[in-house]
Amino acid sequence: MRIELTVNGVAREADDVWEGESLLYALRERLGLPGSKNACEQGECGSCTVYLDGAPVCACLVAAGQAQGREVTTVEGLAGDGLDPVQQAFVEKGAVQCGFCTPGFLMSTKDLLDRDPAPSDPEIREALAGNLCRCTGYEKILDAVRTAAANR
Amino acid sequence: MTMRTDAPLKTSGAARYGLDVTPPGTVYGYVVTSTIAHGEITAMDVAAVRAAPGVLAVYTPFDPLPLRTPMSPLLGETWVPLQDTEVTYYGQPVGFVVAETFEQARDAALLVEVTYDRRPARTSLHAGLADALDAPPSLHGEPPTLQVLADGVESIEDALAASAVRVDATYETATQNHAAMEPHSAVAVWEDGRLTLYSGTQGSDLQAAQLAQALDVEPARVRALNPFVGGAFGGKGHAGVSAFLGAAAARDLGRPVKAALTREQVFTATATRPATVQRLRIGADADGRLTALAHDSWSSTTATPSFVEPTSHGTSREWYTTPNLAITQKMVPLHVPPTTFMRAPGEAPGSFALESAMDELAVALGMDPVELRLRNSSIAPPGRDLQWSSKHLDECFTLGAQRFGWAQRHRRRVDRDWLVGYGTATAMFPALRFPCAVRITLRPDDTAEVATSGADPGTGLRTVLSLFGAEALAIPPERVEAALGDSTLPPGGMSGGSTATASVGSAIAVGAPAVIDALVAVATGPGGLFEGREVAYADGRVFAEGDSATFGEVLRAAGRDEVTAIGTSAPGEEMTKHSFSSFGAQFCEVRVHRWTREVRMSRMLGVFDAGRIVHEQAARSQIMGGMIWGVSAALHEGLEIEESGRPANGDFASYLIPVNADIPTVDVEFVRYPDTLHNPVGARGLGEISVVGVAAAIANAVYDATGIRVRRIPIVLEDLLE
Repeated sequence: MRIELTVNGVAREADDVWEGESLLYALRERLGLPGSKNACEQGECGSCTVYLDGAPVCACLVAAGQAQGREVTTVEGLAGDGLDPVQQAFVEKGAVQCGFCTPGFLMSTKDLLDRDPAPSDPEIREALAGNLCRCTGYEKILDAVRTAAANR
Repeated sequence: MTMRTDAPLKTSGAARYGLDVTPPGTVYGYVVTSTIAHGEITAMDVAAVRAAPGVLAVYTPFDPLPLRTPMSPLLGETWVPLQDTEVTYYGQPVGFVVAETFEQARDAALLVEVTYDRRPARTSLHAGLADALDAPPSLHGEPPTLQVLADGVESIEDALAASAVRVDATYETATQNHAAMEPHSAVAVWEDGRLTLYSGTQGSDLQAAQLAQALDVEPARVRALNPFVGGAFGGKGHAGVSAFLGAAAARDLGRPVKAALTREQVFTATATRPATVQRLRIGADADGRLTALAHDSWSSTTATPSFVEPTSHGTSREWYTTPNLAITQKMVPLHVPPTTFMRAPGEAPGSFALESAMDELAVALGMDPVELRLRNSSIAPPGRDLQWSSKHLDECFTLGAQRFGWAQRHRRRVDRDWLVGYGTATAMFPALRFPCAVRITLRPDDTAEVATSGADPGTGLRTVLSLFGAEALAIPPERVEAALGDSTLPPGGMSGGSTATASVGSAIAVGAPAVIDALVAVATGPGGLFEGREVAYADGRVFAEGDSATFGEVLRAAGRDEVTAIGTSAPGEEMTKHSFSSFGAQFCEVRVHRWTREVRMSRMLGVFDAGRIVHEQAARSQIMGGMIWGVSAALHEGLEIEESGRPANGDFASYLIPVNADIPTVDVEFVRYPDTLHNPVGARGLGEISVVGVAAAIANAVYDATGIRVRRIPIVLEDLLE
């Protein structure tokens, strides 16, 4: 089937998409956007988090066909030019190690701060509990989220 | 402080990991794995697979891709898939389906019908303890069974019997998987008989060498690229099945092949940290001085024995002063997934046993556990002459105790429904380095490049390369570009064993003077800016009397594109003069819920003596991450293998690792004593020591809180029910 969707503000389409194919696969393999990562394919790790019509979803659990006619934002489209304040805070605080979970953390963090501009530490920890980091850089990530909240 | 140079790329989604490359014409491979743990494949029916849409090829042991077993001095043999019909563990790769799209390959792979001649599988470490085998010699070449006895002492049993206070306890640690966020994967492209392989590993030159051997091609015809690696922790030292099968299939089909393991496959088709059982017997005099230490270890290993977790040799062999020491290391071959080194191999599970036992001894003596450790601190490994080069463990403990509020531990601590306890443990990890070559290039635009093949699996090595280059050339780090993760660069070896910083730093310390000499030769040579004059180099400039020029100006004046030199280094004479280790003191506070028995780590501190700290931010990240790995080992993770050999929890829904909500404050401090006896830059490595001792500190804190001694990790609720 053909899917047509808006990705990072740009109208995109893909042909010959199989019905069972995930949005994550379509983004990475068909649309040239490998920023979202595939680490578990079961919605447990949050590495593939994107926004679907503004709501964070695990792109591995969304069928590509479900994105028909909808708006998708990936880590590549998180900022307009340069880096978003959330990305900037992760750079500044060194909240990046191997970097494979980072796109997902950025998407979850921005979503958190959009909903709650000044979250408490327990609220941050809870909001990011759906994102796994095996380098377990959780302390620096918390620093970065606090910094991003302060800078926005 | 310089930012991590990889951070902007990683936060913008622009960093390209192995699987992020999709060359034109790429096809997709999917690995088929065994559904029994032991037996022989008698037939594989792949007719339906071949007929499935988009399928290009099906490879099986009956129709294999030819692969030879690679052998390397550092890694030994690396297993290559599909070369025979033997199955020795559940989840073993037994087939490879390649199709036009990933979903076609996966769908078709489900149609493979495998017929097995099933044999009984040995999967229980406990059941195998009685007929365990001696392990091979340790990394240092020491035999699995080793004794150091004082003059006149007949046996370790005699020494134990003569001790005033004794502890005798047995501890267990679980099988673990590295579970790096990036599943093992590869994209393989052949062009004119040359292979380019994009695949995250711990050493691009090692990867290329293994692939060249396996594929029987000249090493120069294989280029391995891993500019970004999504975590490794020891699990990406050996080249993996995706790389071998992807590369061989791409050659066979004449198309680029992309192959990745699913998360479930990562748990079986890569490798794991073995499970261990360890018996500790410690004897001490009434003042708490050790009189005898016996550490007997059993490790699971593969059916044809491979890696064994060296828990006795990694800890009791070296950590404490004792006149009588006896260690053994045995292995139990099982039909379980391959075993390999994982973050602090030996030390991490070994320290759970030794440091728990030391806590039990402190309790038996009625002594402060910190004081017990200070009293038994070694100046050299027992029975060896070579003293530690630079040891400040005492300072780690005294500083840590003060900062943590250790003196408060005597108070009865109950906070609402939570029982509060404190625990501590020693951490040690050997200071190592590997042979390493780094190329340094000065360029006409006044920038420099520091290049080595290697890998940065998230440690910050890329940033460290720039910092060392800047320091050695006396120019700002912003002007030093690091090139890393390409096997065509000078061989940087493996990012593993906490060696990389010391290894590259030592090579740069050799290469920088050489490239400066080459620059001076250009400046003073025929046609040079300072032809025939006396010059000196400082701060990126060449100085002649009354005159100076930047190195870029010198190169431009001479019409040179660059000057370059390669620095090489390897462990040498220092190994005959001292013993080398990093040291640390771990402290933690846990809360155990009075009714539910839930354990929460509520506060932890690690103080480390790891030589010079090169990049504060990356160093703290490494240490904090390692400490949280210790929390994970103590309270979360363990791969449960069923009697059939099937992992019961081999995915991210059920193999537990901590998330943000599991981790409260983690505090890190360093005592900063550069160890220039070990290497010229004085850094000893941080990646592994941070995990060591944490699980024991937590178990000791649980005992402090509840009076219940748990001798098996991970600790679960049932362990604490009264």
